[in-house]
Amino acid sequence: MHYRIKKELNRILPAESCFKETSMMLKTKPREMKFKLIYPRWEKLEEQTIFNLPPHGPVVMAAEVPEDVEIDFTDENVEALIIDDNADFVGISMMLTTQVKRGWEIADQYRALGRKVIFGGISTMLHAEETMLHADSIFLGEVEGRLEQVFEDFRKNDLKEIYNFLSKPPDMNLIGPANRDILRKDLYYHKGFRMVDLFHASRGCIYDCYPCAVRYLGGRGFRPRPIDRVVEELSQMDNNRLFIVDNSLALDTEWEKELFKAMIPLKKKWVSHTIEDKDEVLNLAAQAGAWYVYQAVFDRSDYIRNRIRQYHDYGIAVEGTILLGLDNQTEDDIKRLIDFLLEIDLDLAEFTILAPFPHTKAYSDLLKQNRIFDKDWNHYNAGKVVYYPKHMSPARLTELYHYAWDTFYKDEPQTMKMFNLINKVMAKEIGDGTYTPRRRDLTDVSFGKKVTNIV
Amino acid sequence: METNPAFSNYMDRYLDYPGHWDSPSKCGLKLVKRKDGKTLAIATEIYRQNPGTPVTEVVAPLATRILKTNAEKPDNFIFIEHTPDLRSKLTFYGETFDLVEFDWNGENFSNPVWTRLTKEQVDRMMEE
Repeated sequence: MHYRIKKELNRILPAESCFKETSMMLKTKPREMKFKLIYPRWEKLEEQTIFNLPPHGPVVMAAEVPEDVEIDFTDENVEALIIDDNADFVGISMMLTTQVKRGWEIADQYRALGRKVIFGGISTMLHAEETMLHADSIFLGEVEGRLEQVFEDFRKNDLKEIYNFLSKPPDMNLIGPANRDILRKDLYYHKGFRMVDLFHASRGCIYDCYPCAVRYLGGRGFRPRPIDRVVEELSQMDNNRLFIVDNSLALDTEWEKELFKAMIPLKKKWVSHTIEDKDEVLNLAAQAGAWYVYQAVFDRSDYIRNRIRQYHDYGIAVEGTILLGLDNQTEDDIKRLIDFLLEIDLDLAEFTILAPFPHTKAYSDLLKQNRIFDKDWNHYNAGKVVYYPKHMSPARLTELYHYAWDTFYKDEPQTMKMFNLINKVMAKEIGDGTYTPRRRDLTDVSFGKKVTNIV
Repeated sequence: METNPAFSNYMDRYLDYPGHWDSPSKCGLKLVKRKDGKTLAIATEIYRQNPGTPVTEVVAPLATRILKTNAEKPDNFIFIEHTPDLRSKLTFYGETFDLVEFDWNGENFSNPVWTRLTKEQVDRMMEE
């Protein structure tokens, strides 16, 4: 029985139902297979916060794993992976290009022990051909309704080399709730503060943004989840703070408004990518708990200035995401852009260097111009220069990248700005009665590791 | 951003092709039979109208497909990749033309090399 069906039964049946009991019995029956699910580690940018968020891909995948399979999940970013022969079947879920080499390394070790390994996730799709060299099987596309067959094939020793659903998105009604029970939740606390949980309300995107591969990964259409399914999942989540990871919420005004209206009673507080800049939408977003948004700042226009002001007018903070190294940026442009960011009063800023990920227009353009000089995927972390910028040397772009971080956070460090943001959300939570104090038993622990400085 | 690259001097039909992992894909196409007997093929990336893989990512198999469909010889075949102007606020969606040259192994094109062309150069190449 699927995790999803089990959740559905628990939701719709009264507590005293005999069927409910049956459901609970099924939940506790001995598992027939052990599936080791791994999220490989990667090296974070030194300038970024130390926060590790619970991953989203593995919990979405886990919801589709058959009920008689025991999932043992390891997120290598917060705990050590012990590679042994305890698992019957191994899955490696990869989101980032900087995870793939580590993922391949793990797979090679498991395969040397005679274990079969299947890969899935965003960067499996981006690096499918290379990943096949380290896999017994790769899964391309979205998992809903597809994993029963995969596990059945495994049991029959008939695992397919490729499960290709890239052009066949599932029925949106099948999506969710994700299975967050696989996470060791205590590992996602920093000094007693719980990290946000990741959540999604839609898939796909209508845009074809220069550095983004969503057109390849999620198709070129916007596919919203039914609002009632979204609310159902949100109401089951025990974390009041969320990161809605949808590519953009600003793709369908009516759906966006309905979503925010439905979220208001839940009193969640959330971070997201762009929200539409219509007053009516922003007003509903604020009521629905919008805490702060990631907003791409690509120029010094009044459009950007007004957009930031609009968010602030509704009490929504803004973290600017600033991509450096684009062909339209000279050294002078980058320096002026940083001055502009300080002027428009961004709450936080994250600077990255353009990384031409496969299946993006950036990759296509730079490939055509033979400007990509580094194909070591570990370097595609958006903090290293892997191509020849148009207006400066790679070394100079690296210097400007550090200059951007240093200059933006010179007067008020990133930790202080983040602290201010946390204070804002705490004030909102205290106001509506949803505030949960930080856990005292974890004040000296950061992502599973003891720390001495507990301030 | 303009979503619908229109038929133009560089595109007068659509071509369906298999993209990565057989994903259904589509581009614009114009074939010009030149006075010197060579065939000039212009493949246009149509962005949102293309449900699958962009032209650049499958340019060698796509050029091979066009060559074979039109029973041309590799020596008489010139391939240009075109991206239309989407009139975006961003600068990365302007009109570009690239001459794409390949290795030929007797069956397929491979190892594409792109050389940027001006619109005027393309217009002249169509007239030759």
